[in-house]
Amino acid sequence: MATATTIDTAGGAKLPELLKEVSQRKIDVYSGVRPRSIHTDESWARAKGFPACLAQAMMSTAYISELMTRFVGAGFVKGGTMSMTFIKPVLAGDRLTVHGVVKERRPDGGRTRVVVEVWCENQHGEKTAVGTASGLLPG
Amino acid sequence: MQEFKPLTYEAVQVGEEFVSDTHLVSPEDIEAYAWAVDDDHPWFFEDSPFGGPVAHPTLMANQALALRHSRYVVHGGLHAKMEFEFVEPIRPGMRVRSRGRVIDKYERRGKPYMVTEYVTEDDNGTVLVRGQFTQMLFRD
Repeated sequence: MATATTIDTAGGAKLPELLKEVSQRKIDVYSGVRPRSIHTDESWARAKGFPACLAQAMMSTAYISELMTRFVGAGFVKGGTMSMTFIKPVLAGDRLTVHGVVKERRPDGGRTRVVVEVWCENQHGEKTAVGTASGLLPG
Repeated sequence: MQEFKPLTYEAVQVGEEFVSDTHLVSPEDIEAYAWAVDDDHPWFFEDSPFGGPVAHPTLMANQALALRHSRYVVHGGLHAKMEFEFVEPIRPGMRVRSRGRVIDKYERRGKPYMVTEYVTEDDNGTVLVRGQFTQMLFRD
C-alpha cells in the first residue's frame, strides 16, 4: 500500500473508501479464541442475544487507523488522534465500508492538523461506528 | 497471588487503578494483527519514515482494553466509545505495558457503564498511546 504524497485536504474532500470483510477467522485472530466470549464463542453470543459472534469494536478503530495512515501518513502514526462511538454491533460475516470526509484544517504547533469525520457502514447501509480522527500533514 | 472476582457495576470503583503485564512486541504480533485487520502497509514489515518497521498504531489497544481482566473475571460487555492519541510509534522489540484508572461509572437506560483512562508506554516510561474507553457491562 502506498502512502499518498499529494492529498486533497480541503473541507468536504472524501477519502478513498476501504472495504473490509469481517470473517470469523479474522475475529478469532484479533481477539484470541476463548470460551464465554461474544467474539469467539457463538453459543455464548447467542445466549447474550446476538445472532452471531460480534467483531470487537476495536477492529473498526484499526480500519479507521488504516484510512488515516493512507491519508496523512506518518502524521497519523505519530501525532494522530481518534475518537469513536460504536453504535451498532458488527457481526461475523459482515462487510464494512470505511468512510472519511475532511471537516477542517487547523494550525497545531507549527504544522497543520487535518480533522476528518469518519465512520464505518455495514452491507445494509447502517452505520456501525462514527467519530472523528485527525493527523498532522507533512511538512 | 492475584485474586479475581466477578466484574459487576457495584464492584468496580471510580479511582481504581490497573496495570498490565509487560508485553514484548514481536514481528509476529505485527504480522498477525495486520492479517486480522487486512492491512498490509509496508511500514509494518520494511522500513518506515521512523527508521525501521513500526506496528499498526492500534496494535496494543487490546492490552489497554483488557486492563480490568487483571483483577476481575469479565464474561462480556460492549465497547461503547474509544479515544486514542498516538504519541510515539510502537516498534517491534519494544516492551510495552498499559496503565489505567477508572474515571467514571454510570447507568444509562438501565445499563451500567464504566469509563477508563489509559496510557501505554515502553519500558523507559515513554508514552506511546494514551486515551480513554467506555465499556457497557453485562448483567448476568
